[in-house]
Amino acid sequence: MSSVLEQIEQQIERLQTGTVTKNVGTIRTVADGVAICDGLSDVMYNEMVEFPGGVIGVALNLTEDDVGCVVLGDVSNLKEGDEVKTTGRLLSVPVGKPLLGRVVDALGAPVDGKGPIEAKETYPVERIAPGIIVRKSVSQPLFTGIMAIDSMIPIGRGQRELIIGDRGTGKTTITVDTIINQAKINRVGLASGDPDFRPVYSVYVAVGQKNSNIVRTVAALEAAGALEYTVIVAAPAADNPANQYLAPYSGAAIGEWFMENGMDALIVYDDLSKHAVAYRQISLILKRPSGREAFPGDVFYLHSRLLERAARLDGKGSLTALPIIETLAGDVSAYIPTNVISITDGQIFLETDLFNQGIRPAVSVGLSVSRVGSAAQIKATKQVGGKLKGELAQFRELAAFAQFGSDLDAKTKAQLDRGNRIVELFKQPAFNPIPIELQAATLWAMQKGYYDELPLNKVMPAAISLREFFTTRKDELLAAIRTKAALDADLEAQLKTACDEWKSGFGAEG
Amino acid sequence: MASSKKTSALARQLFKLSLENGRLSEERVGGVLAWVEKHRPASSLAVLRAYRHLVEAELNRNRAVIEYAGDVASSVFAAIAAAMSRRFDRPIEAAPVARPDLIAGLRVQVGCDIFENTVAGRLAALNTVS
Repeated sequence: MSSVLEQIEQQIERLQTGTVTKNVGTIRTVADGVAICDGLSDVMYNEMVEFPGGVIGVALNLTEDDVGCVVLGDVSNLKEGDEVKTTGRLLSVPVGKPLLGRVVDALGAPVDGKGPIEAKETYPVERIAPGIIVRKSVSQPLFTGIMAIDSMIPIGRGQRELIIGDRGTGKTTITVDTIINQAKINRVGLASGDPDFRPVYSVYVAVGQKNSNIVRTVAALEAAGALEYTVIVAAPAADNPANQYLAPYSGAAIGEWFMENGMDALIVYDDLSKHAVAYRQISLILKRPSGREAFPGDVFYLHSRLLERAARLDGKGSLTALPIIETLAGDVSAYIPTNVISITDGQIFLETDLFNQGIRPAVSVGLSVSRVGSAAQIKATKQVGGKLKGELAQFRELAAFAQFGSDLDAKTKAQLDRGNRIVELFKQPAFNPIPIELQAATLWAMQKGYYDELPLNKVMPAAISLREFFTTRKDELLAAIRTKAALDADLEAQLKTACDEWKSGFGAEG
Repeated sequence: MASSKKTSALARQLFKLSLENGRLSEERVGGVLAWVEKHRPASSLAVLRAYRHLVEAELNRNRAVIEYAGDVASSVFAAIAAAMSRRFDRPIEAAPVARPDLIAGLRVQVGCDIFENTVAGRLAALNTVS
């Protein structure tokens, strides 16, 4: 009992006994998650304010007569006349490795029921993006594990690559595959003991999604063993618009911790269309002037300041961003899509038509681009996949022409046939990322004509069979490709031997 | 109901007319009220409400509400008012209010700024210490 009394006395002594000063205001109105307050004469823009009951808000509208605060919590207990006080702090979230494997809300509080997060540091949610001098150009690849992307639209660490398409075209699947692939690479790399290996940690920000979708994504990551390298920031559709507005910035702060501590991170914003809608709702409630499509005038700045925080830093790490935008009826010339396209370093465009034809991932090679390009590709991929984009472009032109004519010369037929085979080869089931060395082997076999004699519907099973063969019997060759990252004469000879061996076996089975 | 921009602008204009040498003048406030009574501008009720709000805020800016518990000498109130006048660089008058629920100590509010050194405040802080 005496020790309990000592503890209480120590706590009382630690209390500040001097005069406490605070700046306060009074709630005038509270509705739709926004509180309009009188007073708060010393409040600053984006400052955290505290309502009764420990409810937190952010001051977003500073006018001559009042202060508009978005409430980041339960508004049901707030009423007119309640006191609100400034805190002198900006909104911050916990950051660090203790967040890996956890699902948190927009303020960094855990929502997965696995207990408190023992984070030692916090980062402000809103931060200024790195300047020009501290950046380094993007030259390290970030492998998504999706052959169509890694070979023709390569992504580098520190790049911003937009994933854009209509609903149900596989946007989230691409990002989940990428996260799973990073986890696979991390496991192999960390097990190898290579001191130069840099794992990639992932942050998945779910904005305005259904809770069931978030649960499904978490389950997919957990099943693939990727959750231990991932932080999930959840601001579902049931959350108030303020949390949906802040969640991407909180995720960026979490990712920046890895970047500034010499590590590489990947952040997925799923999706920024709903983020813009949430921001529009807040702005309209705050009576800010509305512009095109009722969005506020600074909706571009909303996304530009977010995406500029993804970078590769000189002497430190990198943060790669994969923002997602949902289009309506494939309209990439709409307001928000064009905004984000102009900010990012490329886009992966997914088409509904391709998806319905069974081409999944439904990547439109013609409309997709990576502005970083081959600078983010290893030499092996460049060797085997360098001309693919051009071949597919020719194929698309010929295919449009060929549907009208019946008499085609042999060369045209061969090009069409080759194009069809490439399209078949790039089909890939969901949640099944392919390691880069296997991609190189698959594409090398295609370039050397190992699939040419097969019927079109056998190309994909053949590729799967080839990859299984290499995985089970040619592990050393794959390791060599992974290590050297280029196909020299010796590796090509080994590949030829291995492919011949596979083909004889596949031919016997087929 | 939120005032419209025109209502707020008129109320602010009337408020500025109520100041003399930067301070509220009772005479001028009376003059403003008489003008509103006579001319009945559009949404006069909303204008008056907004005007009242501004006048109240201005009065609170120049008044130190000193909430106290226990016996406090009147010279203390005067000293506090003088200290606040020096701090905010404008004349501030004391408005003492007895509040036994503070247990002991003083709580001074000038406009939006609160200076508190009360036992009740420290106990409340103890509740929020993690």
